[in-house]
Amino acid sequence: MAVNSLGMGGAIPWKRTFHEWLSLDAPVLIYMVKVVIAALMALWMAMTLNMPDPRTAIFTVFIVMQPQSGLVFAKSYYRVLGTLAGVIVSLVIVGMFSQDPVWFITFFALWIGFATAAGFKYRNFQFYGFVLAGYTLCIVALPVIETPLDVFDIAVSRFSEVIVGILCATVVSDVLFPRRLLDALITSEQERFHNVLATLSDLDSLFTPLDDTNPTVGRFSNGVVGLNAAQINSSFERGTNHKEQQHYQYLNHEYMNLSTTYHSLKSILSVINEHDKKEVIETLKQLYAPIATILTIPAHTLLTPEDLSMILSKLLEVKHSLSLRYEQEWETVEDDREFIAATYLMNRLLDEVHNHCATYLSLLKHRLSGRGSRTFGQMVRFSTHTDNVLVALAALRGSGVLLLTMLFWMGSGWPYATLTITMAVVIGLLLGTLPSPLDGVKNFFKGAIIALCVAALYDFYLIPAYASDMVTLGLLLAPTLAFIGWMTTRPALPIFSFGFVFMFMSQCALDPFYKIEPTKFLESSLAALIGIAFGGLAYILVNFWSCSLTQQRVAKILRRQIVTVCEGTLKVERSALESTGRDLVQQFSTQGRLNMRSSRLVFEWLLSTLEIGRAILAIRRSTQGLSIPHPTITMVLDSLKHYFHTPTAVDKEAVLLLLHQSFEELRTFPRPSEKGEAKRLKLIGVELALIHTVIFNSTTFPLLLEDSCR
Amino acid sequence: MPLDLTLFGIQMPTLLPIFVVCSVMQILLDRVMSDAGIYQHVWHPGLFRTAVFVCLFTLPCLFIYR
Repeated sequence: MAVNSLGMGGAIPWKRTFHEWLSLDAPVLIYMVKVVIAALMALWMAMTLNMPDPRTAIFTVFIVMQPQSGLVFAKSYYRVLGTLAGVIVSLVIVGMFSQDPVWFITFFALWIGFATAAGFKYRNFQFYGFVLAGYTLCIVALPVIETPLDVFDIAVSRFSEVIVGILCATVVSDVLFPRRLLDALITSEQERFHNVLATLSDLDSLFTPLDDTNPTVGRFSNGVVGLNAAQINSSFERGTNHKEQQHYQYLNHEYMNLSTTYHSLKSILSVINEHDKKEVIETLKQLYAPIATILTIPAHTLLTPEDLSMILSKLLEVKHSLSLRYEQEWETVEDDREFIAATYLMNRLLDEVHNHCATYLSLLKHRLSGRGSRTFGQMVRFSTHTDNVLVALAALRGSGVLLLTMLFWMGSGWPYATLTITMAVVIGLLLGTLPSPLDGVKNFFKGAIIALCVAALYDFYLIPAYASDMVTLGLLLAPTLAFIGWMTTRPALPIFSFGFVFMFMSQCALDPFYKIEPTKFLESSLAALIGIAFGGLAYILVNFWSCSLTQQRVAKILRRQIVTVCEGTLKVERSALESTGRDLVQQFSTQGRLNMRSSRLVFEWLLSTLEIGRAILAIRRSTQGLSIPHPTITMVLDSLKHYFHTPTAVDKEAVLLLLHQSFEELRTFPRPSEKGEAKRLKLIGVELALIHTVIFNSTTFPLLLEDSCR
Repeated sequence: MPLDLTLFGIQMPTLLPIFVVCSVMQILLDRVMSDAGIYQHVWHPGLFRTAVFVCLFTLPCLFIYR
């Protein structure tokens, strides 16, 4: 869209301005209107239905409202589930332990710890469900601790208020100017695809040696996890069908493979460069040049399906000629392991680019005419991995902060201390997954302070002076609600606006019957602010996670992955291997305070691990089909396992020696007459060469030989 | 039909179970319609969906409040 408006703008400037306004500012404006309508509708419904606390309904609207419809559905779904779980647990806890403080607090802390840990473990909006499960327990169980018999009423009314809020939010966001998440998804997929083509067609960056200006990872690395999340959430948008989802899954999966292969190729090329083998580089360049020319497309053009089909057919031609060349070269320069590995990777890269283009073409066709050309076999799953130490730490923090605030409550005997507990728990639940929770707490605090001033203005001046019925109340509230809506669209202010919404909604006098209560206002605000401070304290106390510790953990986990690949089942899909690793590294680089340099290092570790893991799997699969057993291959795998289990320099030498021996043995081995067998042996040889090159030359490897934390 | 129902000893308006049943029906119907590609021929799918749900929900309600 941006390209179009730039292209036709020149002559009539106001038209371009209008387009820009339409694509940038209008959505925000529409979103603000939607938020205000949904919130006021929820308020009106809750008041008409005589619900005791209409603020919960309006608060729910703000929590689930998102510019894209799919996100609203996803968030609502998990919010309902989370609230339901919280309500049931609070009924159980209050019903069983309301007279026994020790058990009450124990189970309360266990539940909060569980919710924090689970919220940490699960991604996307599932996280949100667990936050709500913990929060709901606080708002249902704590107020009725003196009068346990009221718990059922409170539970039912909280739940119905949440449902009212969710219904309003979802209906408004689906009916009024719906914005599909899938449309955003296709745009980012487009961007990613063009990025892939641009990177692959850049001959120079592939063949120049690596240094700080030319990192291996570069722009061709991120975006897998985020796009996957968007794709999952878009499945909540009705009217999107299964086939399109599958396309996105495959694209994501192929992109992961592609970037691993690209990285490996690039690092091997840089090794060859370092060894100053000019003629090898020249040969490889010649081999790669046709691919680069095919993939070069002029900047700022949108690919049509016709262009893509042309690229595809050209790629197919090159693939045939290249594999012929590759066979020939392999016959002549048999002893050069780096060359073998590089040509093999190039071939694989070509295969994967071809597949990626085919899937993308199929997606375009599917969107245009509903007829995708590709049929998909099995489902590709995006598997995730979360480190248990991080989860345990989160649980400890959640339960700890609850016990601390409970002590504060019992010690002070202050009736408003329940608000302190709620607020501290919310902080622990909500901000735990942020990159820097402490800054988040500060922003939350600022938002809360400003919200208090605004709420005071409403409570003691605007509402008593001007609000006489629903209409005037709505008119009075509308500007603030719109302001909150605007804030949530700003990427710089998400936590600030969270704090604002939380405080404004808990302090604004939106009860069915208005009462002036300045003491209550002041005391409850003070309690909430103390709660935020307690929550922040927990992040300072329970956070002994340093950069080098993170690096150690990641290295250990990555090494363990290779060990399991060596001995585990053969049923591991490559997609599972890739997505787990990427998810893990993503999580560590947001959680573990890695600086830029070390997170790049960790990413490079990941890619080498993936390459080795994939090669080991391929070798193991091929050995299964061999008719004559080759004991050296088993020995190589064993020593690799041993090396990655406890890496030492001696082991490295042993592994390299074994790799070398088995490679030589395979080469001198008389060629078997059967075609399949010969092919398998050749494949094993190539993979062994690849592992050898990676281990021998890699400077970046999950072995913790370098420290980039300083 | 009665205005109130008692389920497992809890008294509730009849509208509530009707609402739940209608939601489930709506979800199923929606899946069928999206797979059949009906939404591609509808001007405003969101509005259409809401309207379908309103029809589903009000039909049994008419029997209660007649």
